[in-house]
Amino acid sequence: MNKAFTFLRERWKANRWVRRIVLLMSVFGPATIAAMADNDAGGVATYSIAGAMLGYPILFPLLIITILLGITQEMGMRLTLVTRRGLADLIREKYGVKVSLFIFMGLLIANLGTITTEVSAIRTVSGMLNIPVAPFVIGMLLIAFVFITKGNYKLTQGVMLVVSLFYVTYIISAVKAKPDWGLALSNLLYPHGVAWSSKYLVSYLVIGMGVLGTTITPWGQFFISSFAFDKKMDKDTLKYSQFETYWGAFLTDFFSFFMIVATAAALNAHGYGVGGLQLQSGEQAALAIRPFAGELASNLFAVGLLAAAFMGLIIVPLSTAYAFSEFFGLSGSLDSDYQKSKTFYILFIVQLVVAALITSIPGISLFHFAIATQTLNAMILPLVFYYLIKLTSSKDIMGTHANNRFQKNFTTAASVFIVIASVLTVATLVFKL
Amino acid sequence: MAFISELTGRPVTDYDGTRIGVLKDLIARPYKEFAHPVIDAIVVHGESGDIALPYADLAALLSAAIPLKRPAAGIIAYEFREDDIRLVADVLDKQILDTDGARVVRVNDIELVRINGNVVVSNVDIGVLGIMRRIGLEKLGRWAAHRFNADLSEGTISWEFVEPLTHDQSMRLKVPAEKLADLHPSDIAEIISDLSRTEHSDLLHKLNIKQLADTLEEVEPDFQTSILNHFSDEVVADVLEEMSPDEATDLLAELPDERRQGLLKLMETEEADEVRQLLRYEEDTAGGLMTTEYVSVFPDMTASQTIEHLRKVGEEAELVYYVYVTDAEEHLIGVFSLSDLIIAQPDTPITEFMHKRVVSVELDTEQDEIAQIVAKYNLIAVPVVDAENRLHGIVTSDDALDKVLPTAWKKRLPHFFGALA
Repeated sequence: MNKAFTFLRERWKANRWVRRIVLLMSVFGPATIAAMADNDAGGVATYSIAGAMLGYPILFPLLIITILLGITQEMGMRLTLVTRRGLADLIREKYGVKVSLFIFMGLLIANLGTITTEVSAIRTVSGMLNIPVAPFVIGMLLIAFVFITKGNYKLTQGVMLVVSLFYVTYIISAVKAKPDWGLALSNLLYPHGVAWSSKYLVSYLVIGMGVLGTTITPWGQFFISSFAFDKKMDKDTLKYSQFETYWGAFLTDFFSFFMIVATAAALNAHGYGVGGLQLQSGEQAALAIRPFAGELASNLFAVGLLAAAFMGLIIVPLSTAYAFSEFFGLSGSLDSDYQKSKTFYILFIVQLVVAALITSIPGISLFHFAIATQTLNAMILPLVFYYLIKLTSSKDIMGTHANNRFQKNFTTAASVFIVIASVLTVATLVFKL
Repeated sequence: MAFISELTGRPVTDYDGTRIGVLKDLIARPYKEFAHPVIDAIVVHGESGDIALPYADLAALLSAAIPLKRPAAGIIAYEFREDDIRLVADVLDKQILDTDGARVVRVNDIELVRINGNVVVSNVDIGVLGIMRRIGLEKLGRWAAHRFNADLSEGTISWEFVEPLTHDQSMRLKVPAEKLADLHPSDIAEIISDLSRTEHSDLLHKLNIKQLADTLEEVEPDFQTSILNHFSDEVVADVLEEMSPDEATDLLAELPDERRQGLLKLMETEEADEVRQLLRYEEDTAGGLMTTEYVSVFPDMTASQTIEHLRKVGEEAELVYYVYVTDAEEHLIGVFSLSDLIIAQPDTPITEFMHKRVVSVELDTEQDEIAQIVAKYNLIAVPVVDAENRLHGIVTSDDALDKVLPTAWKKRLPHFFGALA
């Protein structure tokens, strides 16, 4: 592990443009945070399996997902800037306790799923680095808990830095692997270049949902609006904030694109895929960054995955806790009193413990967890979107800042599409098509 | 006793028992002499939309069905008044200010009681039991509370201490100023940071100058400036006079230069001068850049005594390479470098090798000039003195030259990570 850190540090020093990219990203505000947090361990695992199993055609949904992510995040941000209320606040105030409880339960389930993936990633890392599983997982959970209660900003920065470096390694690996760029880029516009067997189609549907669910998350919708609230951002900066959310959406999927390309080039092109080799272990997934990291690929992947998991482990349970406080308490979401409250601790610990218990079910790999939980995330999305669209389209609430026709229609159509895709996914899984 | 969550949705029937709609909202009217508002009308959601009916025309309110006293056709619809409180639309599920506990809380339910033929708003429910009732699990909630010995009275606030906060309309209820006066400034500060902009603006305008000044001292600097934007310069100037000079200075330093100068002109001369004096230490001047962690010695010491002294204090100092010599009144009389010190014989008095002509800057010397001086004389640091040549601190060369680097955005960076952690 030390070796991997040294390696990272040397690369950091030696490679001027690695440094530049990271610095450029850190200049931007909440959008960058959201973007980084969107690509948590669940994201890494989902993109890895997407690239390995399906190759370039799975890049196709990415463009639409980026637009949808940008628009919905912008909605959440605008809603808060105009009303000075979080999304959860508004749902509670306009639709009452029952609806609030319903949505909170949905969010809780989705978040538990995501946290399970993060814990599963930590288990995977422990295997890759030959550290005993139980102490390692418990240790990481404890660190996460201390981290939340003490709030160490230097460590946050450190984790973010490792994660962003990790993402950059995918970009370099993708370039070095000399993939078929024409095929990759054209697949952004329409999916092609494979034989569309029925087995492939089913995988495409399920994994496509996973990619959607890991990029656009229910918690992300609550996160962005709480964030805008806490930062006390102004209505006057609406234009700038809008630009930032679009930039954040772009950045998220910019990384996703290279992760998929790197994995597709390293794995899909070499025997992995539907009906071929299956992606099972971290070592296999690490092959994707081998063009950059060489012999150290496995160690580097482990460190990067750990950092990504750790980030998710903090942000996702936090988002549950804060949404809870908005739904059933008050809206001062980063209120220090709340953070000291029993409810906050209990919610936080329960989520971590439940996730740890779920991951101890033997025989399920990180990649299974990732696809299952991220698909679940995607299924819960329309529920959150419904209220987000309703609130942001209301002239009573938003005044002149209400949604325009494109924003409303695009997101509504997307929601309907996600519902249909969800039903199809469940059907294929139940009937084992 | 009844709860609004139980009343809403109940059928409202005409004189002859035909159903005309369901209860949607209750309108309460506040009275100056009585802390609890009285129900004055109800809003009925019927087939042809919402109608407001006066309470006087109801045969009963707190009953399973709500019958009218006379035929609906003959009833004149209730006319809304300016200070009416719509309990469902304005209070239920909204955030309120609990002036007793000095906190912002969310209303889960509203409790009504009958007093002398009137129905009066007694309490608001902010507890778990209110939530349980709303989802139809009140019995379970009561059982659990009983089982675990939880105190249910904690979940309610008497209306006496309730201040509704409506963010989409102007405030319907006026907070009595004395209610706020009871709150500690740090409580007010905490409350306003919980509130949205319009809400805290409403609240801030209810404070007097003294309270406002005290409150401002309790909040974060960047929030201070956003609060000040709610007030005219005249008011702000009064507030600044009321604040302690160093707090006022810090606040003024956050403001754009133009506004700061304008405010200083509006302030009383005496207070303004004091602040101006302190403001001179600000930002790009020697006073703002300097550190006080330098090493100084008295002229009667020898080289070996100085080395001994450096061993003791050197750890604390930002820079030990220059040792400054001051008299008892801290007048700067000389300087020598570490190499001067080491080369000298141990028992040589430092006055023999110190440089008497010291290059120094004044407290208000601008950064550009300091940078030039530092560059011209090849200094690692330059001492900062006042008009009487008393030593106040040193500006290190890297601080002086910092201006060539864009520090503004570097300083912003830590901010947004802080919110995550």
